[in-house]
Amino acid sequence: MIRHWLAGHLLKGAVGPPDNDSRFLLHPHRRGIQGLDRMARHGRDDEVDLCIVGAGAGGSVLAQRLARRGLRIVILEAGPFWDPDRDWASDESAQHKLYWTSPRVIGGRNPVELGKNNSGHGVGGSMIHYAGYTPRLHPSDFEVRSRDGVAQDWPLSYWDLKRHYEQVELELPVSGQNWPWGDPHTYPFPPHPVSAAALAAWRGALKLNIPMRAGPVGIVNGSFGNRPHCIYRGFCLEGCKVNAKASPLVTHLPDAIAHGAEVRAGSMACRVELDAQGMARGVEYVDVESGEHRFQRAAAVAVCGYSIETPRLLLNSAEARFPHGLCNNEDQVGRFIMVQGAPQVAARFPREMRMYKAPPPEVSSEHFYETDPGRGFARGFAIQTVSPMPIAWAEHVMAEGYWGRDLRQYMRDYNHWTVLGVLNELLPHPDNRVTLDEERDQFGLPVAHMSYGLSDNDSANIDFAKGVLRDIWKEADAEDTLTIDRYAHLVGGCRMGFSPEDSVVDADHRSWAVPNLYIADGSVFVTQGSANPALTIMALASRLASRIAGGSALPVRSRATALTRTLRGERTAATGAR
Amino acid sequence: MNDESAELPRQRRGITPQMVGRFPDFDVLDTVDQWDPVTREAVMSRLSIQGPLQFFSPDEEPALRALCDTLSHQHEEPRVPLAEMIDRKYAQGKLDGYRYDDMPDDRDTWHLVLQGVDEVARRRFGRPFHQLDVESREGICQDFSDGLLQGGAWDALNVKRAFSVVMRGVASQFYSHPWAWNEIGFGGPAYPRGFARFGEMSARESFEAPEAFTADPVRDVEARHE
Repeated sequence: MIRHWLAGHLLKGAVGPPDNDSRFLLHPHRRGIQGLDRMARHGRDDEVDLCIVGAGAGGSVLAQRLARRGLRIVILEAGPFWDPDRDWASDESAQHKLYWTSPRVIGGRNPVELGKNNSGHGVGGSMIHYAGYTPRLHPSDFEVRSRDGVAQDWPLSYWDLKRHYEQVELELPVSGQNWPWGDPHTYPFPPHPVSAAALAAWRGALKLNIPMRAGPVGIVNGSFGNRPHCIYRGFCLEGCKVNAKASPLVTHLPDAIAHGAEVRAGSMACRVELDAQGMARGVEYVDVESGEHRFQRAAAVAVCGYSIETPRLLLNSAEARFPHGLCNNEDQVGRFIMVQGAPQVAARFPREMRMYKAPPPEVSSEHFYETDPGRGFARGFAIQTVSPMPIAWAEHVMAEGYWGRDLRQYMRDYNHWTVLGVLNELLPHPDNRVTLDEERDQFGLPVAHMSYGLSDNDSANIDFAKGVLRDIWKEADAEDTLTIDRYAHLVGGCRMGFSPEDSVVDADHRSWAVPNLYIADGSVFVTQGSANPALTIMALASRLASRIAGGSALPVRSRATALTRTLRGERTAATGAR
Repeated sequence: MNDESAELPRQRRGITPQMVGRFPDFDVLDTVDQWDPVTREAVMSRLSIQGPLQFFSPDEEPALRALCDTLSHQHEEPRVPLAEMIDRKYAQGKLDGYRYDDMPDDRDTWHLVLQGVDEVARRRFGRPFHQLDVESREGICQDFSDGLLQGGAWDALNVKRAFSVVMRGVASQFYSHPWAWNEIGFGGPAYPRGFARFGEMSARESFEAPEAFTADPVRDVEARHE
């Protein structure tokens, strides 16, 4: 795309995205989306063209693209519609409300703690509290079975996604140095300044000949419509009160709403309902405030609830034709859920580092991303800086077994520490899965149970990566290090594939079992690479939208749906006929 | 009992827990006028939090206070009011978003832990937990941390995971309090002012103060445990 080339070379920092006016629709001095009183409100008996469940990275991009094509869209979002000025504090503890904290149960050999760090709640989804890293997947990620004999290939390739990566990078917009790894590319905005804490890591890496780069982060660095420049207060994981960090709340929903999409916050989806022909006819949801059950009719449904809630919704939608959960007659729903290994090694320096300043995501390296047979395991990992705020740093110290006086003493030394983390590509396994638990939530719906276990390849990858981090800090002349084992991100659970026997949806995100039911979120990932997933979720949704709009990803069984009519410009006639 | 009070500098500006710390001339609340109103309200409300406890029963209160004091090493005033803060969190029905399948709900875990530390204290010393001296309480907490406690309430828990629930609760409240930020020299909310000095040349904003001493905790802590 010529625009992306210009943005990355001659006109860095000066080129905006086409076909998305979100940055101008935001107010220059107020952070919340303006004019919500004028947002479209669809009646309860109104059949919309598309009902999307979840206003996160996937659902918001899909809505923005298709609202521009004239589709009448309702997004159901369980959490609140955030106004950063009114709802958010610049504070670690007060921002706990950004997480999905309804009950969930975890188990398996290596249970993965949920909530904080991997599950969002509210309009904007988990991108409200992601750090801001926006790397692409590598071309190799889509063909790991063919290349490395592990996991599974995707039914699409990097090249199918490339132009959508470029478009989304313009929309966020992404700041970073020219990227040498994977498919080498540039970024539309220049890199942010690098803090002393991150430079220490860079210096150590250089001595080991590990190249590092600043970025890529979806944080405004310059002038971008009405979104301000980052102020380096460091609270990226607590929700950006500045509107500098990209999330659908600032990148896609303002434009979607201006083009007629309705975001219905406080609406917890409970089941997708089918008609007599086996097509989805809409979504039953609970209005969280009143507790009232409501139904939204729709010509098509897109579930975008992420890797736990998407499988949970399908499993909770069991009916006579799908006794074990919607789309689950082949026993694929909830399987192959993945997290990334995310161990972190903190290092102490004699001088003050004050790592809480500047965005936690600063510099990264994909030097170890690809398989190296000499390491003894398949696939690899990425290295990234992370800068925990005090509570998160306390968790670091507690992970070493310290409490009481020792904890206090370590914490008093906070300003001398800085932290490097990795993201390990952990491989998909059928037994890592989401099922329904006996416990029920406040709405009486069975909650999700997530079971996770590491394979030998996964453990070998994590151990090797921790060794690399310790080597980097040693070369950087750190006095001491502390290690914490943890996980980050969720993907998979309703993966895309080549046949109903190996997956839940096809390459166009259509469920194999219900032709007008799409899944457009991180749960369709087949593998995950070592990249933070947000950018890829958005790029996938962007591609799906262009395929729906182009007519190649429509519900196969019935081409003459309302969706098709709208896209052909026949909506007025069709609405009149109803 | 608290040998640190003698070793650490007294706080000269603002308040820290036990009035000791490392940044005696730093008070994060000096910048409170520069915070946006929502942040100011969220942070300042922690300074006025008071009982009576709502989630925990009066019978549980002594054990709760003693456990919070021990786990956070707060044996003198001024204390960060952990019991009140943890109580408020659960009274408001706030949870963390997950539960291990071999564990009860976090709220039940707290009840069982408070019952459990009293049981162990009575078994070992014939007195309830809150009547023990600091050293004995720390001994029980070390066994709790190592997953070594058994019998009674502990049999309904995965003890190590229960310690993590309790410790996470204690630390996340303690380090949300501006007195604790003073103790560790954290610059605070900084919205809308932001931070300007994070490069190699200077790490401190105009309102941030230097530390009174520097010491690597890794070696100190190791030496103390030997």
